[in-house]
Amino acid sequence: MSTRDSIPASATAELAPARVGPVHDDGRRRVLARLVRTPLGAASVALTTVLCLVGLLAPALAPHDPFAIVGPSLDPPSLDHPMGTDGLGRDLFSGVVLGTRTSLTVAGGVGMLVLAIGGAVGLLAGYRGGWTDHVLMRLAELLQVLPRFFLAIVVIALFGPGLDRLVLVLGLTSWPILARVVRSEVLSLKEREFVDAARAGGAGPARIVMREILPNALPTAVVYVGLLLAQVLLVEASLGFLGLGDPNVASWGYLAGQAQRFLRVAWWLSVFPGLAIATAVVALNLLGDALTDALGRPGGGGGRGR
Amino acid sequence: MTRRYVLGRLVQVVPTVAGILVIGFLLIHLAPGDPVLALAGENGDAAYYSFVRAKFGLDEPLANQLLTYCANVLGGDLGTSYTQGRPVLDIVVERLGATLLLTGTALVVSTAGGLALGLLAASRPRGGRDIAVTTMSLGLYAAPVFWVGQVSILVLALGTGWFPVSGMTTAGSDASGLAHAADVAHHLVLPVLVLAAQEIAAVARLTRAGLIDELGQDHIRTAWAKGAPPRIVLMKHALRRALLPVVTVIGGRVGHLVAGTVVVEAVFAWPGIGRLLVTALQARDTPIVLGVFFVVAFSVVLANLVTDLVYTRLDPRIRYR
Amino acid sequence: MRAPVMFRFGVEGQCLFRPPLILTTFPGDSGPGHRFANGGHDMGRLRWTAVGVVAVFLAAGCGSDDDPEVAGPTTDAGVTTTTGDDAPVTEGGTVVVAISSDPGQLNPAITTSGGVHTASELFFNGLVDLDENLEPVPELAESWEVEEDGALYRFNLREGVEWHDGTPFTAADVKYSFDEVLVQLHSRTKASVGAAIESIEVVDDLTVEFRFGQPYAPLLQQLNVTEAPIIPRHIYEGTDPMTNPANLEPVGTGPFRFVSYTTGSEIRMEKNPDYFEDGLPLLDEVVMRVIPEEGSRVVALEAGEVDWLFETPGPDLERLRSSGDFEFLETPVNPGGANCIMTVSFNLDRPIFGDVRLRRAIGHALDREQFLERVLFGQGAVAEAPISSGIPFAHGDVELPEFDVEEAERLLDEAGWVRDGDAIRTAQGVEGVEDGTSLAFDFLHFPTFTAYAELLRAQLREVGAEVTLEPLEPPVFAETVFTNRDFDTNIISYCNATDPEIGVRRMFTTANISTVPFSNAAAYRNPAVDALFDEAQATVETDDRAPIYQEIQEIVAEELPYLWIVETIAVRAYDADCTGFGPSGHFAETASCEQ
Repeated sequence: MSTRDSIPASATAELAPARVGPVHDDGRRRVLARLVRTPLGAASVALTTVLCLVGLLAPALAPHDPFAIVGPSLDPPSLDHPMGTDGLGRDLFSGVVLGTRTSLTVAGGVGMLVLAIGGAVGLLAGYRGGWTDHVLMRLAELLQVLPRFFLAIVVIALFGPGLDRLVLVLGLTSWPILARVVRSEVLSLKEREFVDAARAGGAGPARIVMREILPNALPTAVVYVGLLLAQVLLVEASLGFLGLGDPNVASWGYLAGQAQRFLRVAWWLSVFPGLAIATAVVALNLLGDALTDALGRPGGGGGRGR
Repeated sequence: MTRRYVLGRLVQVVPTVAGILVIGFLLIHLAPGDPVLALAGENGDAAYYSFVRAKFGLDEPLANQLLTYCANVLGGDLGTSYTQGRPVLDIVVERLGATLLLTGTALVVSTAGGLALGLLAASRPRGGRDIAVTTMSLGLYAAPVFWVGQVSILVLALGTGWFPVSGMTTAGSDASGLAHAADVAHHLVLPVLVLAAQEIAAVARLTRAGLIDELGQDHIRTAWAKGAPPRIVLMKHALRRALLPVVTVIGGRVGHLVAGTVVVEAVFAWPGIGRLLVTALQARDTPIVLGVFFVVAFSVVLANLVTDLVYTRLDPRIRYR
Repeated sequence: MRAPVMFRFGVEGQCLFRPPLILTTFPGDSGPGHRFANGGHDMGRLRWTAVGVVAVFLAAGCGSDDDPEVAGPTTDAGVTTTTGDDAPVTEGGTVVVAISSDPGQLNPAITTSGGVHTASELFFNGLVDLDENLEPVPELAESWEVEEDGALYRFNLREGVEWHDGTPFTAADVKYSFDEVLVQLHSRTKASVGAAIESIEVVDDLTVEFRFGQPYAPLLQQLNVTEAPIIPRHIYEGTDPMTNPANLEPVGTGPFRFVSYTTGSEIRMEKNPDYFEDGLPLLDEVVMRVIPEEGSRVVALEAGEVDWLFETPGPDLERLRSSGDFEFLETPVNPGGANCIMTVSFNLDRPIFGDVRLRRAIGHALDREQFLERVLFGQGAVAEAPISSGIPFAHGDVELPEFDVEEAERLLDEAGWVRDGDAIRTAQGVEGVEDGTSLAFDFLHFPTFTAYAELLRAQLREVGAEVTLEPLEPPVFAETVFTNRDFDTNIISYCNATDPEIGVRRMFTTANISTVPFSNAAAYRNPAVDALFDEAQATVETDDRAPIYQEIQEIVAEELPYLWIVETIAVRAYDADCTGFGPSGHFAETASCEQ
């Protein structure tokens, strides 16, 4: 069969998410219900929601401009400055709150890019097959193999720091796995009779995509993207540590990088941004786990959907 | 494992490698900043710069430079460093050993540790141990690497004095042979622990998930029904199959470990290629940057290759998609 | 007239740590045709250098008024030990030094890279060194004669000096080092001596003559191990100095000789028992340890893994001082040069900066005390004049804009930048700027100066200006600012060195608007100032030069092509069991540590 003939450059180049089952129309509500029933699920949903809210409402929540000098230098946490101040006298709490928004933006940007490109490529490759498939999958493998963090370092150190560059680099190199997921979904669907039936019934390809492929691929995609975004946050943090962060935007990674010099004299400068990062990563991971559980497996036996 | 598959797999390495080279080269040359300044220093005059440009062939059109570069690389020549006047390959190979030591040890530690923890957690899902392991591994995974590194230095090195603060060897040490190995090992502990922390978490979670998956399989239930003791069931049937995703993880994780290495080498002043990359970038020593990038990417390709071959060996039933 | 090309100071960052033992000087625009354009005064030219040098010393005195704790044997103009340095002098022992970057190679003659020089200067010597009074003292050259008003220098070399491999040192080594290496590859020497030299003659094994086309006064200032290290001819001749393997296993004449170099990790050197200075060095061994992270270097010092730091970070200073385990050496010799002032430049070619009221307003908006306090943690001083206080005879008595937010706002309003409440100002009736344009501009800086940039951004936001930061690594910064002139403002550490001719002139004269890095970044054009600089250059007596520099500073303090923020110093930290360190260069030559 055509699917078996194509030998991927690496079936294991990246951790592939566990395939999770299709969600049908009424299923969505059931999934949500199942999700919040478990303590883990509830907690992760709550946490993620809180983070999103904080990010969206950040300008209102932050008491100060994170770049303005509003207090004494290196002040420990106090009523005035719940997370203390940094070396220049800027409020850390405002920085962390606005950093949430930045993280949201970066994560959102990468997520959208990955979904868009991965989805498009996967659909195209699966549907068309043949040369298109071959070429696209080769490209995907190449990008999968590229060491992303190194690439991000090289790009930022060459083109200058900037969150837009980070989003581009990560977005343009993280879609391959999603493309694979979508593609395999398309391929397996191609072999099913009801697609032919639907086509016979006059349904255009777009409709097929919407009704059959997306619901099947989406759950896995969502889980994967969730885990990916957690990694993106960690990459941003590490870049900030290496001094490659963007100084014009308040971001957790940048705050963490700034805290280097003061590690011994101002613990709050590294603890709070670090905590923020860890919290977001934990939330996303737990959500991914909970979603995986709630969405169920794609049918018994096998479990080979990796 | 068919020979066809192996050959096909090997052949596929070539375009991947070529693609990596082209990407790296294009990036460097698209970026702003004139390599001449890195070579000639900031204080030369115009005449001096053109002399240097000519000497290093920086005036050639990009396409020519790329072709020359590819030809060189295939012949084993990664160029000459601007700042050191030595072949890049020599420089990178020199520092590669330190990084391999660090990542290799971290890989082993994280695999073993992760497997053990995953096993522990899966033996009684949702039990006390499971929750403990899951929580701990989640925490380790989520904490940024440099954070863990610095805290560990402050607590375990400066605080208790048990471990050295930085470097691979004691400064000015004359030790050789066994004593030298012991010295390096002593310096290796903290960096490896920090680097492995994130990976242990990932492996543990995956092992656990894979094992739980396996344990739900029909044939396992059959074995239980037949009266086989649970531990044997676990080890013999489930583990072997569950090893697959772990092998997968190792293959994919090489890239992650390498990323973590850059940060760990920075924090611990470990003399590896991660540090070399950052220094070379700051000095705009393009040949070294390309060389490091290439070596790392190639290592990942190699790791994937090995992993794939092992993967199919472990479970010949697997077909590829 | 040659375009001036050599600007050694002001290049910043860890990659250009340039520690001359004393604050060596050399003119940036020293083409002799230029210098002596006003006709030849003969000995006067040389005398002014010597006189200037001595005057600097006299005027600076020993120590400074505001430092009550001057003590210890190494007090001198511009270098003060701040804690009682009374560890006994002992022989032997090892000193471990933390350096911030791996040098890559160990030949200081082929590069001006700070990392290389820090790591390798202990292996080599120059012909002539400068003592703490900035007087030339013998090093490889025992004595010298200056003839023909400075067109001919004859150096009589020390007898019995050997290279580390036993080969005798001769004049041929000097000729080779200059002809084949220094004037080809050491960018400052190439641009200065290299441009002026006519020939170098080996008269005999121990005598070498430098002949110049025209009298060349500054030569003696440029012959120390930093500017012109002498390398062995018998090893390098006939090879490419850039790739000779001896670059990794240096052979020199210096106080320490090479033991090993583990790239990325450490450089080890041992005492040279045949060093021509009797009794020196005292230490048995020096180990240079590469520790890239600043915090890790401090931790290493505290843990005892390292004995000497070239720089102590501000936040840790307090803690280290109070621990009592360390001693400190404050010096205005910074990475990049000496007597450095953090200077903000305006790109005067851009219409937005055409109005001096805007520039003055920005000056008033900056709280320079806050820079000293929060960026430098008190180490250094607020800049009081365009020329550093480290050059006392030239340090001007002028009024730089004081911190006054109201005045800043008033001037901005007056200049046509209107403000709606707290928002960013917009132009209305500003010449050359479209109405409605925001008062927004970019600010380029080395990544190491991010703290300055962020503080400036915050302070200017208060008065309604929006600053976007652009951190750029030194090579890219140099190209963007000086070659492409693609910037609005930037900050540079302009190092004045020991004479305004060296580090100050290049900032202000029209001739110095060029692509050479760290020249006239603002593109300031004022023929009156050009003429004054020429006059100062032609004047012999320091007393006569001072008023000229005063006048220059009065003009530029009015016109504000730049804003001078703070004068910076470096604080070196070392184990209290050690003593006898110099500030840089051969810093460990006279050092010793208690065992």
